[in-house]
Amino acid sequence: MAHRHAHGPRSIDRLAYQSGMRRWNPVFKTVLAVGTLILCLAADRPAVSAAVILVLAALQKGKGRLPLRDYFGLLLVPLAFLLLGGAAVACDIVFAPAGDWNLRLPWFYVCADADSVRFAAALVLKALGAVSAMYLLALTTTACELVDVLRRAHLPPLLCELMYLIYRFVFVLLDMYGRMRQAAGARLGWRDFRTSCRSFGGTAGNLLVLSLRRSRIYADAMAARGYDGELRFLAEEKPVRGAQVLWMLLFWAALLALAAV
Amino acid sequence: MTQKQRKLVRLTACAALLCGVVPAAGAMHIMEGFLPPSMCILWGVIALPFVLAGYFSIKKTVARERRAITLVAMAGAFIFVISSLKIPSVTGSCSHMTGTGLGAILFGPAAVSVLGVIVLLFQAVLLAHGGLTTLGANTFSMAVAGPFVSFGIYKLCLRLKVNKKVSVFLAAALGDLVTYCVTSVQLAVAYPSATGGVPGSVIEFLGVFAPTQLPLAVLEGVLTVIIMIALEAYAQPELRAVGFEEAGA
Repeated sequence: MAHRHAHGPRSIDRLAYQSGMRRWNPVFKTVLAVGTLILCLAADRPAVSAAVILVLAALQKGKGRLPLRDYFGLLLVPLAFLLLGGAAVACDIVFAPAGDWNLRLPWFYVCADADSVRFAAALVLKALGAVSAMYLLALTTTACELVDVLRRAHLPPLLCELMYLIYRFVFVLLDMYGRMRQAAGARLGWRDFRTSCRSFGGTAGNLLVLSLRRSRIYADAMAARGYDGELRFLAEEKPVRGAQVLWMLLFWAALLALAAV
Repeated sequence: MTQKQRKLVRLTACAALLCGVVPAAGAMHIMEGFLPPSMCILWGVIALPFVLAGYFSIKKTVARERRAITLVAMAGAFIFVISSLKIPSVTGSCSHMTGTGLGAILFGPAAVSVLGVIVLLFQAVLLAHGGLTTLGANTFSMAVAGPFVSFGIYKLCLRLKVNKKVSVFLAAALGDLVTYCVTSVQLAVAYPSATGGVPGSVIEFLGVFAPTQLPLAVLEGVLTVIIMIALEAYAQPELRAVGFEEAGA
C-alpha cells in the first residue's frame, strides 16, 4: 500500500498512534483544538488564520514529530472542495458585464471583482486554519480516546458503545474488503470499467453478508464475556502539565491580540 | 488515422475527462471551517430532531434485544466503509459513493440518521472529509435529507409497482442528487452572491459541483442496483435480519 500519499482511513489512524503528542492528555488536546478552531472561525481574520496554520504546523512537526510533507499532504485533502467552493464564492454570474474581470460564456458572464476575490482568499485561509485545528486533534489522538472524551462529556452511553464498535468494525470490514478486492483482482475483476462495476457490486454485497454474519459472532462473543451494555477500557493516566496550559493560554491571547489589531 | 494519431486522440480525451472527474475525490462534504459559526449552529439545530428520533428508535431496538447492538454497529461500519471505498471510474481517478441511498433502503432512514452522525464524525477525524463544526450541516444533507428522499422514492416506486431495479436506481441516484442540491443551498445561504442574492449563489454552487456530482449520482445508482442484485441473489436471510424484507417486497 502506498503509504506516503494514501489518505485512506488507515493512514490518519496510524499517524495518530505514532504521534509524539499521543502522551498528552486527550481532554487537554480536545480543549486546545476546539478552542483554537472556534477562535479561528470567530475572529475571521486572515492574520489569525495564517498564525493558526503556521503555529499548529510547527507544533505537529516539533512536538508530534510528523514529517511536514505528510502534514501538508493531508492539509490538502479537501483541496478540490476548497478550490471549487472558493471559485463559487469569488465569482458571480450576471447577464451584463460587471466587476473587474469578466469571462464571456454563451448566455451569461462570469465575473469577479477585487473585493470578492479577497473575500474568497480569506475564506480559503480560514478554512485551512480550521482544518489544521481539527488535525491537531485527529493526528494526535486515537479514536478510542476521542470517544472516551465524549463519554466524559456525557454523551449517551448507547452512542459511545456504537462508536467504539463501529470504529472496531470499520477496520474488520476494511480487512475483509482488501482480501476480496485482491481475490477479484486475481480473477481479472478490475480489467475494465464494466467488469469493475460488476466486481465492485459483488464485493460490496458480499461484504454486507459477511459483516452481518460476523456481527452475530461478535454478539455471541461479547455475551459470553458478560457484556451488559457497557464496554469499559483501561485508560492510561495522562496528566496535564502546567506549562502546557500556560502555552495554550499564551497562544490564545496572541490570537486574540492579532484579531483585535 | 494512424496508430500514433489514434493514441494521441485517446490520450488527450483522457486528459480532458480527467480534468472533469478528478475533483470528485472530496465528494460533497462541506469542509471544516467553510461555514460561519451561525450557520453551523443553525444546521445543527435543524438536524437535531431527526437524529433524536433515530436515537430513540435505536434505543428501543437495543433495549428489546441487547444483541442487536452489534448489528446496528456493523450497519454503521458498513456505511462508513462503502463511502470510503474507491469506486470504479472511467478515468482512473479517485471518487467515492455516499452510501446514503443504500443505507436508507437497507436499514431505514431513522437508523441511518444516527449512524450518519457517527460515520460523519469518523469521516472527519479518520479521512479528513467534512469537519467538526460543519458536522450539523453535513448531517442534514447526507444523513437526513438524502436518506429520507431515497427511502421515500423507493417506497413510492414500490407502491406504484415500478420495477424493483429501476426503483433502487432512482432512490440511490436521486438521493445522491438531493444531497448535492441541499449542500449547494447550504453553501449559498452562507455566501449569497453580490448581485443575485441566495438564488444566484445556489446556481453558482450547483454549477461548480455539477461536472463531478452528476456522473457520480448516476454511477452511485448503478452500483447500488448491482449491490442489491448481489444481495437478493444470495443473502435473503441477512436481508430479513436487517428488516429489509418486511419493509421491501
